Amino acid sequence: MSPEPAAKIKTLSDLNPGTTALIGELDMDESDSVRLMELGFIPGTPVSCQRRVPLGDLAVYQLDGAQIAVRRETASRIRIRSVQASGTADA
Amino acid sequence: MAEAGAVADSPEQRSLRTVAICGPPNVGKSTFFNRLTGLHQKVANYPGITVEKRIGRVELPNGEHVELLDLPGIVGLHPRSEDERISVDVLKGDSPMSGRPSAAILLLDSTNLQAQLRLVPGILGFGLPTLVVLNMSDDLEARGGSVDIEAVAKQVGAPVAAVSARLGTGMETVLRFLEGATAPPQRVELPVLNNIPAEQRWATGVARQAHYHPPEPSLWGRRLDKVFLHPIAGPLIFLAVVVAVFQSIFTLAVPLMDGVEDFIGLTAGWLGTLMPDSMLKGLLLDGVWGGVGSVVVFLPQILILFLFIGILEDSGYLARAAVIADRSMRAVGLEGRSFIPLMSSYACAVPAIMAARTIENQRDRMATIFIAPLTTCSARLPVYALLIAAFIPERPILGPFLGTRATVLLGMYAVGFAVACATAWLLKSTVLKSSPLPFMLQLPPYRWPTIRSLSLRLFDRARVFLRRAGTVILVTTIVLWFLASVPYVDGQPPEIGDSLAGSIGKTIEPLVEPLGLNWKIGIGLITSMAAREVIVGTLGTIYGMEADEDSPDLQEALRSDLSYGSAIALLMYFAFAMQCMSTVAVVRRETGGWKWPIAQFAYMLALAYGTGFAAYRIFG
Repeated sequence: MSPEPAAKIKTLSDLNPGTTALIGELDMDESDSVRLMELGFIPGTPVSCQRRVPLGDLAVYQLDGAQIAVRRETASRIRIRSVQASGTADA
Repeated sequence: MAEAGAVADSPEQRSLRTVAICGPPNVGKSTFFNRLTGLHQKVANYPGITVEKRIGRVELPNGEHVELLDLPGIVGLHPRSEDERISVDVLKGDSPMSGRPSAAILLLDSTNLQAQLRLVPGILGFGLPTLVVLNMSDDLEARGGSVDIEAVAKQVGAPVAAVSARLGTGMETVLRFLEGATAPPQRVELPVLNNIPAEQRWATGVARQAHYHPPEPSLWGRRLDKVFLHPIAGPLIFLAVVVAVFQSIFTLAVPLMDGVEDFIGLTAGWLGTLMPDSMLKGLLLDGVWGGVGSVVVFLPQILILFLFIGILEDSGYLARAAVIADRSMRAVGLEGRSFIPLMSSYACAVPAIMAARTIENQRDRMATIFIAPLTTCSARLPVYALLIAAFIPERPILGPFLGTRATVLLGMYAVGFAVACATAWLLKSTVLKSSPLPFMLQLPPYRWPTIRSLSLRLFDRARVFLRRAGTVILVTTIVLWFLASVPYVDGQPPEIGDSLAGSIGKTIEPLVEPLGLNWKIGIGLITSMAAREVIVGTLGTIYGMEADEDSPDLQEALRSDLSYGSAIALLMYFAFAMQCMSTVAVVRRETGGWKWPIAQFAYMLALAYGTGFAAYRIFG
């Protein structure tokens, strides 16, 4: 789908705790992307990473008023843009 | 209270108007439903499929009654799990299981309004008169948020109410809507459906027009997350919670169980003095009162476990626990969400199997259902307790903290858990292999559990348990008692070995002999097909009848009849065999056919027989 090399694209899994970004495109089939959008992962929505969960590959994200835990492999299919360091340094 | 059991069956009930309550998960739907209906509710099932149907009745101020239908939570109109599908079908009027409701209440969380309003166009699109309820208004205000209700109503073209279902404020508007007295406001143009970004733009616009100020993020919620999801403290707290729950099942429940036991013993003695000696007395006292009593004793234990699960769930901790557990669940191929049903299966596999519905991935759901009966449910406890007390001498291992008996009991829990994990891994790497779906789990805000909702839960559980004791177990006990009392010899009940039950036991003895068991235990294995704990009452009946004069106690009788190895074999058999009709029935219902329950029954029986045989060979 995308001509760019995957390594260059920033995804939600790159977002460090304490930083905020805007949701970009969702890299998955339609039924999965609809579900993610229903949960609030809508392109253009601000998202911040609250924390990485110990021992695992889950991270907790804040979207509007909701907190959602997402596995890394799912997060790596959600592109992000306009990363802003809010507090800690951007990675 | 008296009419609570008989809510929805009277003929007038059927002509009642039905109002459906829908909304996203974690918006306080059950609290809202409980607030309106109190004890006037019952749980039924949609015929043919799995989803639990909660119906309640509300008496309105004008004297009329309305039936409320509590629909499972939905995040959108594209259902993924089975319970979401039912909600959408009922609202559409497509559901063959349930008539179309005459109105709907859409419950939203007012502390997260700009996201939650997204659901409005879809729900209004079903064309039912709809009240939009913004719940948790107390929380919104407490954290400095606000919203102009009338402006929201004008923007969405439907009546809107702000309530706190927890405190019961704002419910007048809801009652007026249920009376049908709310004038429908002017319809407005809503965004095109099936375009989520457009729906979100619309929702953001509505929130802006209604001067919605989102609440400040909850500070103590953040602090709690910092602790509960902390790299070191988080998993430790998780372990401590799990241990504390199990510990309390034993320590807290014991005095209560003794109380119930004493009560049954006392009443049996008292009833005994009232009745003349006869066959009927034997049936009523030994069969009915003793048999049902031996099961009712476990009510405190089950209620304590459900109380803890209720507190953990209502407070919001359970979702954090699922996050912590995700890593280990993943190791066996499942996801964090499977942790919740598996935890409840330590109380009882039946509610656990129903709780597996929330797992979106159907293959993960099947695997969870398959392994749930392998975890040590509370019905196994009486069996374990009896056998351990009879065969394991109590000696301290860790001073006063841990003795041999507790260790063996913990070992039984560990064996069940290990085999459940291994089975999950086996299933997930073969027949139920699936590519991982996007996994996400919403973390609801922390809230204080209310006494009201906890006690409603316990009341409901107690009702289900006692109904089971009063039906399945009662019938099994009476049938066994009867089989053990015929045919009469010279006008006297027969020796147990000559009775009908005895002949049945002796017929199957060759089957249980390889496990070192005799025909008496064989009878127990048959009766405990109904429910595991029945074997305790059965053995009591069989050994009690045999030794009429100097009735030795059951443990001694077992010691003289079973070797150490055969006791271990019996423990193994109970650890693995699917000795529970209710579980078989619920798996059939949940999986929609006989394939899974039969496979599960056969697998568990093979495990039970195999390990029992091995144990008898090894321990002699």
